[in-house]
Amino acid sequence: MTQFALLSTVEKIQQQFAADNYIADRALALSLKLAMDLEKPLLLEGEAGVGKTEVAKVLAKVLDTPLIRLQCYEGLDANTALYEWNYARQILHIRINEHDHQSRAALEKSIFSDEFLMNRPLLAAIRHPGPRPAVLLIDEVDRADEEFEAFLLEILSDFQITIPELGPFVAIHRPLVLLTSNRTRELNDALKRRCLYLWLDYPSPEREREIIRRRIPGIEAKLAATITQTMQTLREIDFHKRPGIAETLDWSRALFGLGITEITPEALLDTAGVVLKHRDDIERLRAIGPAQILADVTDEPRVSRSV
Amino acid sequence: MSGEQLIERTLALCHLAKAERLAVTPAKVLDVLRALPAIDYLNAEDYRLAVRMNLASSADEERRFDRLFREFFYGESDERHFHSRIRGESMQGSMGHHYREINQEITTAADSYSADEVTCGLDLQSRWDPAAPPLDQLIRELAKHLATRRSRRLQRAKHGAKVDLRRSVRGNIRYGMDLVDLARVERRTRKTRLVMLCDVSGSMDAFNPFLLRLMFGLQQALKNSRTLVFSTHVTEITSLLRRRSVVETLSEVGETVRHWSGGTNIGGALATLNRGVLREGSAGSTVAIIISDGYDNGETRLIELEMQALQRQVRTVVWINPMYGASTFQVRASGMKAALPYIDHFLPAFDVQSLRILVRDLAKI
Repeated sequence: MTQFALLSTVEKIQQQFAADNYIADRALALSLKLAMDLEKPLLLEGEAGVGKTEVAKVLAKVLDTPLIRLQCYEGLDANTALYEWNYARQILHIRINEHDHQSRAALEKSIFSDEFLMNRPLLAAIRHPGPRPAVLLIDEVDRADEEFEAFLLEILSDFQITIPELGPFVAIHRPLVLLTSNRTRELNDALKRRCLYLWLDYPSPEREREIIRRRIPGIEAKLAATITQTMQTLREIDFHKRPGIAETLDWSRALFGLGITEITPEALLDTAGVVLKHRDDIERLRAIGPAQILADVTDEPRVSRSV
Repeated sequence: MSGEQLIERTLALCHLAKAERLAVTPAKVLDVLRALPAIDYLNAEDYRLAVRMNLASSADEERRFDRLFREFFYGESDERHFHSRIRGESMQGSMGHHYREINQEITTAADSYSADEVTCGLDLQSRWDPAAPPLDQLIRELAKHLATRRSRRLQRAKHGAKVDLRRSVRGNIRYGMDLVDLARVERRTRKTRLVMLCDVSGSMDAFNPFLLRLMFGLQQALKNSRTLVFSTHVTEITSLLRRRSVVETLSEVGETVRHWSGGTNIGGALATLNRGVLREGSAGSTVAIIISDGYDNGETRLIELEMQALQRQVRTVVWINPMYGASTFQVRASGMKAALPYIDHFLPAFDVQSLRILVRDLAKI
């Protein structure tokens, strides 16, 4: 079934990912397994900074196959995503061969050949020669516009495209496709229907502590525990942008780098910019009082707060 | 559990999910069945996750599915949302039944009721003048000025500013690749999303006929806009306004918005907007239109803070104040004063005539 012996069971996927310092929970591991077995794209949604993009990176690394990334943005069109002819080179080529008196057909054939074709991510994923399929990451698909989504649908269903001058290309190995979205807009139903879906939530305290421990070797266990608890408390406050795992790691690195072993209210306030990226949010933190937050952390790790 | 039983149970689960308005299609059901051999289906957790990954397609749907799954297998009931009728049938395993169409229920309807809200089952039809000419043309004009922007996508244009190399090269092959005719492109015009926050408190009653017309017209003309009304509470009425029939819409809105003609809490309404609707979509390309006279019995400081947050999030803030048209108008309402510095366009409009003038003036800007 699975073409990847390394990742044939949920447990193996978790192990392999852990070896690459990514702590995958069961839902994520199972979704990857199904994506591979059913050859369906996997749509990962979640708040910014919960490690959506990282999944694809680690997957590619574990499988030892290239990661082909298509970063979506508004205005992204089929040319930029699929292929483009290298016009400048084509024109140069014609100028250089001007006096060779080539026939027009021969000239056209030569300038519309592989040599002048620029593979963009989608074509690169389709033409990937193997031996294992490439991992195709379509990042932040919600940023692209709806026209592009419709185009993507077509590609994702057949993995086949036709370049008029060169003929059809069919994927030899269907790439493993991961899509990520931050939910800045609702995605097209048709696209969602074709994908497996998983909502990546903020990690549990245990998982987050494990992530810190693995990513920042040498950090004290006690500090890691306090960081985790503080982050869990902070996430319960109604900030504009709640801090994700990326922020946790940045903060841990910052504290570790500064040689801070115990988080004091001053230390929290001084390094608040690493965790909160909104002026209003920092003001809010100040209003609640860092001492208050840290007190909550030491007394009771999970305090519900609605300010 | 035998294979047959497993398939039967799974199908029943899919039926239930469909009844819970998850987008269950035959193709998805097939995918669920295809997924079963790939997992350890005797492990309840894996089974739940695998079915869920195929059927749900948002965080909310995941939650709904989980609840349904619990009820289906463990019989925990959650009275608020569950249709016991459906459960009764499916638990008996009547798989041969066709999918039952559940009437679409509008979930935005106010499930909250508090004593300080005034009317109940308001008769809005008396405030609607069926003889008035439709606002379609005017609204299209208004939308053109307020709710369009240049897209980053390009379209063919004779006199566009940029050269389209791909088309130019293709088109000039016949001249031996001397670029004779240049194909050009320009940036497309694109609609932005409108979010309208409309004051329906008591002080606005006089303008109701105009307001209703404007809300209905805008929602019909711009399909992706959202409409919210507020007084002491906020209610989204987008889905109600999407209906064709005016009479039906009015009675439903009257039924749903229990706080119509109530007090005013502008700050609270803005807060709901900032944390709710604007979080859901790309706020950066949204135009927020607030229609209110600015009379407020909430906290002025809150209005200021929330207006600040609003202005920072959205593309443009437009405030339409019906009082503004009067010659004796001064910004006296304290709420209005607090909000004024954060408004991009402060406009008067209280009836169709003044809206026409407003559109004409906008064209001059």
